[in-house]
Amino acid sequence: MSATPQPEQPVRSTYADDPEMHELIEFFVDEIPNRVEALQQAWQEHDADAIERLVHQLKGSSGGYGFQVITEAAAALEHPLKQGQDDLDALAAEYDQLIKLCNRVMF
Amino acid sequence: MPDADSTPKDESPIVLLIDDSPMIHRLLTFKLKNEGLEFLSAFSGEEGLELAQENQPSLILVDLDMPGIKGHDVIRALKSDPKTMQIPTLVISGSTESSDKVLAFELGAIDFITKPIDLPELRARIGSALRLHRLMEMLEQRAQIDGLTGLKNRAYFDERIRASFNSLSRNKQTASLVMCDLDHFKILNDTYGHPAGDSVIVGFSAIALRTLRSCDVACRYGGEEFALILPDTDAHGAKIVCDRIRCRLEANAWPANPGITATASFGIANIPANETASVEEWIESADKALYQAKHAGRNRAVVFGDEPDQSALRPAS
Repeated sequence: MSATPQPEQPVRSTYADDPEMHELIEFFVDEIPNRVEALQQAWQEHDADAIERLVHQLKGSSGGYGFQVITEAAAALEHPLKQGQDDLDALAAEYDQLIKLCNRVMF
Repeated sequence: MPDADSTPKDESPIVLLIDDSPMIHRLLTFKLKNEGLEFLSAFSGEEGLELAQENQPSLILVDLDMPGIKGHDVIRALKSDPKTMQIPTLVISGSTESSDKVLAFELGAIDFITKPIDLPELRARIGSALRLHRLMEMLEQRAQIDGLTGLKNRAYFDERIRASFNSLSRNKQTASLVMCDLDHFKILNDTYGHPAGDSVIVGFSAIALRTLRSCDVACRYGGEEFALILPDTDAHGAKIVCDRIRCRLEANAWPANPGITATASFGIANIPANETASVEEWIESADKALYQAKHAGRNRAVVFGDEPDQSALRPAS
């Protein structure tokens, strides 16, 4: 497990030093607000299928862009969903943590 | 052409990526953009199977956990379809479960890469899979070629004639099968020796290849027997082609053995001109026509169902 960044600290890609990755990281940083928005909407609509899919995609892709903390936060939320947990209120802590981290993503 | 399997593959290899996450597509296509690969993107198992069928990629990368058809079922479907079963398939998955890996390999995947993706490793594994694919294609091709003549061999003919027959009965098209045999080959061998006999077999093959179109298939059927499959060619057209090969062979000079005059006989069977119910019957008809050509004096082409034209005989000198 990577260390969880302290509150308020930006979440940055571990590949930020690799010039080849810059364009990709930029893409990820630009894209993440759309992902957050889609996830928040699904959450408000209690659409468990959509939530699971969006969280699964975040889990699968974030690590590749150097955002392993997001992958791990997404995995923590995806796991109970996959187990069939459909009481979203019980997952509020994991959800909040994921959204918070996503909102702090910076180049 | 319905089953053209000889298209050269020297353009960039096509890699099909099946993953529901657009971010993964972006990541991979960007990181692999200098590898000389052409990427096809599918965002679901269903779309992936469709694109694999249509585009015949050199490599497939597939995610396991997707909405709709899961990755394992995508592999299962790919491996049970003759059109896609040869394509090397690699899994890219977030799963580290041993059971997921074992199942993927059992279903026919050749590699398993875990997310998050380590790009140098992915590059190396893709390179290795493509090399393997090329070698397999080369072996497969070699296994279809007759060593002496460079024509397709008997094993290829048996497969190809069946495929041609099946596609004909589906599409109501026409095609001709020609069985041909070098005349008096045993005498030629006994008189001039086996190397001379071989040179005539090679010479006939070269003339046939030079005369045929690229969509035609020339096979060495047995010792001095050959089979030609001529798509979209009626009996009349096939007879013209056979006569052209026949005349070129007869006129051919054999510098190592100037005494040789080689000739051949041809039996032609056309579909659908002949009510042919099976591949076996098609071959049998061509064989019967060949027998008639031999019987009528050799060095001629006979169409199955026609009387050999006695008056048009050309002396074999």
